[in-house]
Amino acid sequence: MERIDKCSGEMLRGMFVAATRWLEKNAAVINSLNVFPVPDGDTGTNMLLTLRATTDEAQRARDNTAAAVADAMAKGALMGARGNSGVILSQIVRGIAQGLKGKDSFSPPEFADALVEASFHAYNGVSNPVEGTILTVIRDAANAARETALADGCDMISVLDTAVEMAKESVARTPTLLDVLREAGVVDAGGQGLYVMLEGALHYLKGETSENGTCDDDMVLQAPVVAGSGDEMEWGYCTEFLIKGSDFDVNAIRENICSMGQSVLVVGDEDVVKVHVHTFDPGAVLSYAGSLGTMHDLKIDNMQDQHREFIAVKDKDAAPADGISIVAVVSGEGLSEVFRSIGCSIIVPGGQTMNPSVEELLRAVASAPSDEVIILPNNPNILLTARQAQSLADKKVVVVGQTIPQGIAALLAFQPGEDLDANAHAMEEACASVRTAEVTNAMRSTQLNGVRINQGQTIGFIDGQFVAAGDDRLGVVVALIDKMDLEEGSLVTIYWGADSDQGEVDSMVHYLNDHYHGLEIEIVEGKQPHYNYIISVE
Amino acid sequence: MAVKIVTDGSSDIPKEVAEELDITVVPLTVVFGDEAYLDGVDITADEFYSRIVDTTVWPTTASPSIGQFAEVYNKLAEETDEIVAVLLSTKYSPCYEYGARATELVNKKARVEVIDSTFGASPLGLIAITAAKAAKAGASLDEVVDVVNRTIPKTHILFFFDTLKYLEKGGRIGKAKALMGALLRAKPLVAIENGETFPVGRVRSHREGLERLYKFASEFESIAEMAIEHTNVPEEAAGLAERLSPVFPKEKIYMSRISPVVGSHLGPYAIGVAVVEG
Repeated sequence: MERIDKCSGEMLRGMFVAATRWLEKNAAVINSLNVFPVPDGDTGTNMLLTLRATTDEAQRARDNTAAAVADAMAKGALMGARGNSGVILSQIVRGIAQGLKGKDSFSPPEFADALVEASFHAYNGVSNPVEGTILTVIRDAANAARETALADGCDMISVLDTAVEMAKESVARTPTLLDVLREAGVVDAGGQGLYVMLEGALHYLKGETSENGTCDDDMVLQAPVVAGSGDEMEWGYCTEFLIKGSDFDVNAIRENICSMGQSVLVVGDEDVVKVHVHTFDPGAVLSYAGSLGTMHDLKIDNMQDQHREFIAVKDKDAAPADGISIVAVVSGEGLSEVFRSIGCSIIVPGGQTMNPSVEELLRAVASAPSDEVIILPNNPNILLTARQAQSLADKKVVVVGQTIPQGIAALLAFQPGEDLDANAHAMEEACASVRTAEVTNAMRSTQLNGVRINQGQTIGFIDGQFVAAGDDRLGVVVALIDKMDLEEGSLVTIYWGADSDQGEVDSMVHYLNDHYHGLEIEIVEGKQPHYNYIISVE
Repeated sequence: MAVKIVTDGSSDIPKEVAEELDITVVPLTVVFGDEAYLDGVDITADEFYSRIVDTTVWPTTASPSIGQFAEVYNKLAEETDEIVAVLLSTKYSPCYEYGARATELVNKKARVEVIDSTFGASPLGLIAITAAKAAKAGASLDEVVDVVNRTIPKTHILFFFDTLKYLEKGGRIGKAKALMGALLRAKPLVAIENGETFPVGRVRSHREGLERLYKFASEFESIAEMAIEHTNVPEEAAGLAERLSPVFPKEKIYMSRISPVVGSHLGPYAIGVAVVEG
């Protein structure tokens, strides 16, 4: 095998194209091994689609320098990112581009440094990094690459080889870091995807084609739970503003803001930076920001009692928003009609297994007939993509709600006459008053919260938490209903899916009427895929 | 001679309150097909609400005639030479126009001031009550007019009801039209702003609707008058009054029935809270 001491932009592109091929061959495996028995086995698909957008853009690089190719790929990844894993992957690509800035070609140590940069970016892109995910894998791989790169006699192949080996080990360790993985007996799918990609790149450098190598099947144990599903701080003040000035160091600002709170999002360039943070002490954040430049669009919400307070002087007589459009991610003909009927202007088809890309959401935002847009992702798996679209859009965008019933409650709370902030607040409040139960079938056998679940069994979740499983679907539904704290006057809405039958719905209504008094019950034909039933209580 | 206060039947003022404060209420008319009933005279609220649930004939409403107003003014002119009439919003009804034109038919030399309240239902009632209290306290006609004009911008109403179809059929939906067409249960909350129906929001359950009414009324810093009215849900109206008693003394809240003439536009399940800020 030849030694490779320098990599050109052309080779960088080649590595990514090979990584894409490798992922293509393994995406289905990664998908099928989803840890949550909910059929959201789309980690592999999301990463693949993100990577395709990345390599497509690589073909459009302004020249063949490593910097130009990496830059183009970063742009492609950012626009094509789908799902949580895709968004993190896009951060990795962006980090690589950052590391290769200004370089026509790169040496093994420079490559290792770019991987380290990628790891930083990946962690920075997530507000609440969770170990035992793709994040851990990129960090371990990058550190291993750097160590090898420091040794004499290394070349590109030996550096990447170490990275691949370490990634493999790191993936195998993910269940020891993340309880949900351990319980289900799987490894993290996002991490697995990254390992597969690195291996693809390595095969390219070694001059092997994808046809004569496959990823070890025994390596692929299982795929993940929603990475980054860590608990968000549910108190303090949600603080948001823009800082305008010059010569900003975005990373330094992010680092400082991170020390002041959680759910930190700091994006921007040298002249303008957008800050979002949940903090106990907004005053400290503001005085820090004030020392950097001028502050704009300041908004502080008390998240604990949901009571909004404005610190910024808000001109009450300012012209009301001359229109706010609502973009919702919905699948199912019935649900789409419902969303339209209550004022949603643009429906982006998608949901649990069909996560729209950042670009699709951006296109919807751009096509909305107003300068202010509210995105209802309606699914926790789409939240990150929606936030990404929010930070990239030219328009003022807010993101509200994580389930279909929350989206509906939010939409009903929307008031055309009010401004965006007031609406966002009212809609958040409406979401908080809704509990959501979801009923679906296990795609594979697994174990959840100590409960053994067989493939095909009905499983039920309340607000994303696993609650019950069994062969008897009605029994699972009843178990969910009994755990939803129904009181007199509650409204129960049953959205029945494309694969559900009317008789079962009737039995549910009978059960509710027999066991609970004074309920209001509404049945909506949602025709949604995957979920037999979505049941909300408000 | 005290100033006499006149309002119309859409004000939903309880009979005994009107008597006590010496407010003359000119009734409107409810029409079922070809049968016309003077609201509160020929048909009671109970009769009316049980009828709109059963009937296939949609009720319509009619303003008092110029003659009805003239008759009232002339009768009052026997006792006073100063009359203030506070009437239903011009965007809902020609009431104000008829009330104003009737002033030309007053025989005695009496000054009659007619004011467009820009409201209907209990907020109109509260404005008339505020005017009557001023008149009782000895205010002159100009002072009463001034009181009315200052009370109007401090008056607020929030209604919660089952469906918008009555408002739409009756042609009084105003800007609340934006709330139409939902493919799932979405109960409207509406206010009256600038004389017309204004959408405030939608809720999914009765409980949430009542909660919104409570929040609406409890968020005023200072309250001079409050009224709670309903079509046919007395327990819920009483429960709301009870909940609001720390905000405003329960015994001072005017509890009333939504009159058939207003109810025919809101439908069978409706409840509202009106407030005059202090």
